[in-house]
Amino acid sequence: MKTPAEIEKIENDVRELLKSVIDPEVEINLVDLGLIYNIDYDGDKNFDITMTLSTPSCPIGDSIVMNVMQTVNEAYPGYDTNVNLTFDPPWTPDMISEEGKKALNK
Amino acid sequence: MIGLSTERSPSTKVVVPHFIAASLALIILSILTFLSANSFIGSFHTQYILTIVHIAALSWGTMIIIGSLYQLIPVVFETKLYSESLAIFNFWLFVISISLFAYSFWASKLLDLMPYSSSMIFISVWLFTINIILSYKSANKKDISAKFIITAIFWLMMTSLLGLLLAFNYKYGFLDNTNYRYLKIHAHFGIVGWFLQLIMGVGTTLVPMFLVSHKLDNKKIERAYYLLNTGLVLLYIDWQFLQTSFLIYLYWTIISLSIIQYSSFIYDSYKNKLRKLDIGMRHTMLAFVLVSLPVIFSAIIVFIPYTQFAFLKNIIVLYGVSIFLGFFTNMIFGQTYKTIPFIIWLNRYQKYVGRAKTPFPRELYNEKIANIQFYSYNIMLMTFTVGILFNVLLLVQIGASLLIFTALLYNINMFKIIFEKKEIIMNK
Repeated sequence: MKTPAEIEKIENDVRELLKSVIDPEVEINLVDLGLIYNIDYDGDKNFDITMTLSTPSCPIGDSIVMNVMQTVNEAYPGYDTNVNLTFDPPWTPDMISEEGKKALNK
Repeated sequence: MIGLSTERSPSTKVVVPHFIAASLALIILSILTFLSANSFIGSFHTQYILTIVHIAALSWGTMIIIGSLYQLIPVVFETKLYSESLAIFNFWLFVISISLFAYSFWASKLLDLMPYSSSMIFISVWLFTINIILSYKSANKKDISAKFIITAIFWLMMTSLLGLLLAFNYKYGFLDNTNYRYLKIHAHFGIVGWFLQLIMGVGTTLVPMFLVSHKLDNKKIERAYYLLNTGLVLLYIDWQFLQTSFLIYLYWTIISLSIIQYSSFIYDSYKNKLRKLDIGMRHTMLAFVLVSLPVIFSAIIVFIPYTQFAFLKNIIVLYGVSIFLGFFTNMIFGQTYKTIPFIIWLNRYQKYVGRAKTPFPRELYNEKIANIQFYSYNIMLMTFTVGILFNVLLLVQIGASLLIFTALLYNINMFKIIFEKKEIIMNK
């Protein structure tokens, strides 16, 4: 089992990793877009990622979710990644990071 | 992922043929406009103008709207399209019937071919509406956007019904001197009830989504919906039963107030946007600015009582041109640049996400061509408008030539998006 500090480091690493997953329509990564709500690592071999979509009717919803799972699985082979999709709270543009807002206006 | 829209998206075999057919129709439309340039400054009640109007309304506008609606059903209704087979069958029925219908007008085959071709269009339109209404029955979301779409479809059914009546009247002449009255009702059911309402409904969802703008006042949309339909129903009752001349001011005001309410919603969305306008949204925003032109032209027709007939005739032609070539065409250009790259991306590249470097939807078309098309289209619109207003044939011909050029550029990009396969570089 990992120490709380190691768990926190890995959770932060996964968050950084998910900055490589880009929403193809707005061309911003999911973390800066504010779609990743929580990353939970159990200290063993399981990741629980809670995320949302900009709208429940997002036309590329399952593609984004699949991409999150594949990206984490490739970086951490042998680990289990579970993605929980939630719309509570619903996403709003206020959740976009400052970097994300800058990228949107480029 | 159960419940997500990608799973509910229809096959590209349902959607894409509509975009191909409409793109080709735009080329035909532009060539016929060039060949009939005279009719735009002469007497506009010619078979050539009627052909062009119906190609613009059916083969270009309605064709692309039907294709887009099939794709948008999962987004707006949060449900699947009721029948993909019916949609594919209906596509071919629609293509054949509008080709015959356009030929009926162009070649003046009003007595023999027209009743059959218009009957086929009528059947095709009603099959389409049945497919959408049955999809709506299982909708998980029935918001204002869905209400606009369903009401627009009702007006489309009424437009096709009156179109059928007028087509049979060519052969049997049962409408006597009320023919022109039904023609006006048919045109306004189509323009206001179907096209304008549908664009409003779809725009309510898509414009804030593409601009990334939230916290908008949906009451403006509700007001726009009720004002538009109240105005149209009153206009119909008057033209059909009352035939007053003075109440037209009231109907014009009600429908214009609806457009003002809706434009105000779009302006709020633009003001709150977090995203820069790309080529698709530039066309879309310009369309919402240009919607003011038919409002102004119709105000001149309605409010200026002693207009000289020659001048009035020019304004009536400009009213139609500003609707079909100005507002609708701009909107279609804008929304196809937003939706068709996405539809192709979903079908062709989505499966490689996470495993390979894939292009973005924006990279599927040539941005330079899209930009040239944007400017050639706007110069065309200005040249065409000035030419019609001042009866200058040369300007109308230059405008029509620019329309051909614009249509070719649009087709190059559409075919590039649909058929060009980008290289996929797999991750190591």
